[in-house]
Amino acid sequence: MNSLLKNIVCKIKDACKVGDEMGRSRAVETIENELEEMENVFGLLVLGSFVGIPSPPMQISLDLMPHMEKELLLMMEKVDTASQPLSQLFSVFDID
Amino acid sequence: MGKGGVGKSTSAALNSLFLSHKGCEVLLVSLDPAHNQSDIFEKKLSDKPKQIAPHLQAIEIDQEQWIKRYLKDVQQQIRRTYAYLTSFNLEKYFKVIKHSPGLEEYALILAFQEINRKFSKMDFLVFDMAPTALSLKFFNLPTLSLIWTNHLLALRKEIIEKRELITKIKLLKKEIETDKVLSKIQDSINQYTALKQLFEDRRLTKINLVMNPDLLSLAESKRIVDGLNGINISLSQVIINKMQENSSIDHILGEFKGIPILKMPFSQTPLIGLDTLTKFLELNDSVLMEQPLELLAKTRN
Repeated sequence: MNSLLKNIVCKIKDACKVGDEMGRSRAVETIENELEEMENVFGLLVLGSFVGIPSPPMQISLDLMPHMEKELLLMMEKVDTASQPLSQLFSVFDID
Repeated sequence: MGKGGVGKSTSAALNSLFLSHKGCEVLLVSLDPAHNQSDIFEKKLSDKPKQIAPHLQAIEIDQEQWIKRYLKDVQQQIRRTYAYLTSFNLEKYFKVIKHSPGLEEYALILAFQEINRKFSKMDFLVFDMAPTALSLKFFNLPTLSLIWTNHLLALRKEIIEKRELITKIKLLKKEIETDKVLSKIQDSINQYTALKQLFEDRRLTKINLVMNPDLLSLAESKRIVDGLNGINISLSQVIINKMQENSSIDHILGEFKGIPILKMPFSQTPLIGLDTLTKFLELNDSVLMEQPLELLAKTRN
């Protein structure tokens, strides 16, 4: 009986934990999307010359480039998915 | 600075020689891609200082070499920090980047910074500048770069703030991590600010405008002054080169009110070779002594 009660309490605790994590995840979802877009803007500003967008003086891009592998790959990926903007938008708003 | 053919290189050579005659240690640096100093002193110059006369050394900056060196450095950093495949894919871009606009003046800036650092013990560093357009871009580079870097800094700070907020909510703790991009932007801002201050400080950097007493030269000189004023840089003196007895300069004096004017006489013989330059200086020592006093205050005798 005791172990059953312990089990139930444990399950409730786990459920609360999952709920809490989900709540936290939901709360930051919009900020995460906003952050992702800002990172894209930053990537484009610094490395835009690689995809034909006006960019800062070349030396600024080159000075920052060694520290921006993530942004560079992200931008390349964006260029690849640029032909499907709607599917990108649907995935942002979680529409299946 | 000055229009092509007015005698920028000769004035730089004469001024360097004049200062070295006064006992100052002088390094004459040719930033002009045409590299006239080799012809003026009739000596082959390179990127290593060469003794031209007592107390006077000269050096020529190879712009292309500086671009190559800079790009190689960036490529090496990329190879160290990027995944192999990404850096491998970027190799082909670097073959094109070396021809990008803007790198020419940046190469001059890099050379200028290193010479300032390496030869800081010299009494005078005399720079023979490139033609007007490139020189204006050279002086404009720190200001322009600061506009971009300050904007990027603000955006990066915002990104980091958001990133920290997400980490705090998700993991219930604030993750303290140094953002390398932010540090790099900050470093660049510091460097460009120092350079801008150096260009603007008339006690440390003397900018001479060289011109001839003719209308074309005056028109371009006015544009140079406007260009420099736009980035808060003022002139130290105007050198009117190739002055003849019948030269009328009243209109020039009217244009450059408040700026010291040095009238350099026309030489009947071409000013080529150390002996000819020395003889010309001996004849015109009093003219060069009229330069702004603080410039000569450093001289030893």
